[in-house]
Amino acid sequence: MGTKYNYRRDASRLFIAVRENGKRFKIYIPKDSKPVIDGEEKDIDFLEQEDFHYTFDWNGKKFHCELVSRDQNKAVIKVNGVEYRYSLESIFSYIRRGMINNPDKQLNEYNIFSPMPGKIVDLFLSEGDLVNEGEPILSLEAMKMQNEICANCNGVIRKIKVQTGQSVMKDELLVEITSIDE
Amino acid sequence: MKKKLLIANRSEIAIRIIRSAHKLGMLAVVFQSDKEPDALYLKYADEIIAAKDNGNEKSIFLDADRIVKLALENNIDLIHPGYGFLSENPDFAELCVSNGINFIGPSPQLIRDMGLKTVAKSMAIEAGLPLVPGSDGPVNDAKAAKEFANKIGYPIILKASAGGGGRGMRIVEKADTIERHFKSASDEAKAAFGNGDMFIEKYLQNPKHLEFQIMGDKHGNVIHLGERECSLQRKHQKILEEAPSASVTPAMRKEMGDMAVRFAKAIGYYSAGTIEFIMDEDGSYFFMEMNTRIQVEHPVTEMITGVDLVDWQIRVALGEEITLKQKDIKINGWAIECRVNTEDPQNRFSPQTGFIDKIHFPMKDYIRIETGVQSGSVVTPYFDSMIAKIIVHGKDRADVIEKTLDALYEFSLIGLKTTVPFCRTVLKHPEFVSASYTTRWVDSVFTPEMLENDEDEMMGALAATIMYASEYLQLSSDTPSYKNDLLNVWVLNKRLNY
Repeated sequence: MGTKYNYRRDASRLFIAVRENGKRFKIYIPKDSKPVIDGEEKDIDFLEQEDFHYTFDWNGKKFHCELVSRDQNKAVIKVNGVEYRYSLESIFSYIRRGMINNPDKQLNEYNIFSPMPGKIVDLFLSEGDLVNEGEPILSLEAMKMQNEICANCNGVIRKIKVQTGQSVMKDELLVEITSIDE
Repeated sequence: MKKKLLIANRSEIAIRIIRSAHKLGMLAVVFQSDKEPDALYLKYADEIIAAKDNGNEKSIFLDADRIVKLALENNIDLIHPGYGFLSENPDFAELCVSNGINFIGPSPQLIRDMGLKTVAKSMAIEAGLPLVPGSDGPVNDAKAAKEFANKIGYPIILKASAGGGGRGMRIVEKADTIERHFKSASDEAKAAFGNGDMFIEKYLQNPKHLEFQIMGDKHGNVIHLGERECSLQRKHQKILEEAPSASVTPAMRKEMGDMAVRFAKAIGYYSAGTIEFIMDEDGSYFFMEMNTRIQVEHPVTEMITGVDLVDWQIRVALGEEITLKQKDIKINGWAIECRVNTEDPQNRFSPQTGFIDKIHFPMKDYIRIETGVQSGSVVTPYFDSMIAKIIVHGKDRADVIEKTLDALYEFSLIGLKTTVPFCRTVLKHPEFVSASYTTRWVDSVFTPEMLENDEDEMMGALAATIMYASEYLQLSSDTPSYKNDLLNVWVLNKRLNY
């Protein structure tokens, strides 16, 4: 029920492909469903798969993709006869680079602070998990009410500063999150 | 006994001619060149003559003496020259005729006349065809060229009298460069054709290239089969053709077609031929030249008229009378031909050679494929880069554009780059859709970025990521802390299914 979250937990399945013109694609390759590209699950099927050549079907259209060359994390792919160049990296190295280049924004903007004093009754996620914007991260009990505290960005949980059963003050740092969006 | 028809050509056109030879009950004979001993066309022939042209400077297809010698040794009745190579070489035609071999084409004398542009033009003037303002005959030197150009006004074009394929051709925008251009063009012509004669013409800035297909027999009958538009060119070579042309009204078709027939009759032409016109933006048109061969783009005419041009070439060579009357020729729908050249449109159409790992053509009853290659074929640097043609028929122009685009998306070739993405870009461009495109399109409108699109870009990113991810996840799984769920099931499932 409720919101459909496109990113699953496993952040190691999220990659960033950047074209030489600067255009960026965030691609999540789930274990058991269709790929999620820039936060949207796409109805893409495989028609053919060989080592260096894939044919996809998307909305009834064919896409012949052939690996032309590969140099470490750089790849040239021929798509329907036209070459495109990409550099690829995991979300972890992408975030690492982001933090080096722009530490304040990356580190602090999306961290979760306790909105009221209370007790942590449940933690839904672990460090290193991928989380969707609006997805509950933990449950905080205050004045006999359980409140779900949700992520305010698509991101990676870098650090969880609290444990189940722990009491927290208002404005106490609960979870450090790094956004995977720009 | 069955007649033996030798094809002095290779690749798709050899296979095309073999088809007609078989239809007419003849044995098709081809040469096996050492430069491509496993070529696809060899499979279709009834007899193969080993050309043994390995050590030779020229491939067999350019070696008139050896072709005729081998033809005589193998009791050949007819020779079809195809296009390119020796197809418009009057000496070769003459050599065939003088050795008693039936040359499929017009008379050697007409090939010679039409090959010399100045002669062709004077014959055209006699037949009342309009000509681009220009010099009546060859211009002797740079000084005379300059004087003449000043008279008709710039820009002008210098053309080698014996030229073709863009060699010995220069466009001159202003007076102070004409002497330099004249010299280099003339030198180039001398080197390429052994004849440095040049003539001068007014240069049309944004012309269309139109051509009328004619067919004549040895009894004086000539008909035309409508026009083709071949304005889409790069480096003066055609790359996408259509028939009919949206720039020709039925009245113009009749006028120009009658003109073409009158010209062909006046010069006593027989066999298939093409009369080329150049059309200015205001719709005025001028005779350019006559091609005396079957042309690469002949299938678009066949698709809309239902007339088999190669069949008729052979039948006319045998002396048959054309039974078709002009009033029987009806234009049915629209056809487009896309040339599949192994060239890189992202890199100035530079030629690509190597292996075709896999090639897949679209298959529909309204699509005609002419190919000289299959999966596993090799593209060598010895011959032309055109490996196949995709010809599509539709009920009207909009319909055929859509069908051709679908066909080009269905096409795939693993291993080399081709002009197919370029053709797709053309078909989607507003100037093509509105039929206002001219021969300048590639130089003035086209940029390699136009080949790209957002969907392809995203799918390429996906493909790159999957390739990268499968290695990355494999690596991660080697560390014990990582759960071993490696490759995407989305990927693996499909691997099992296909």
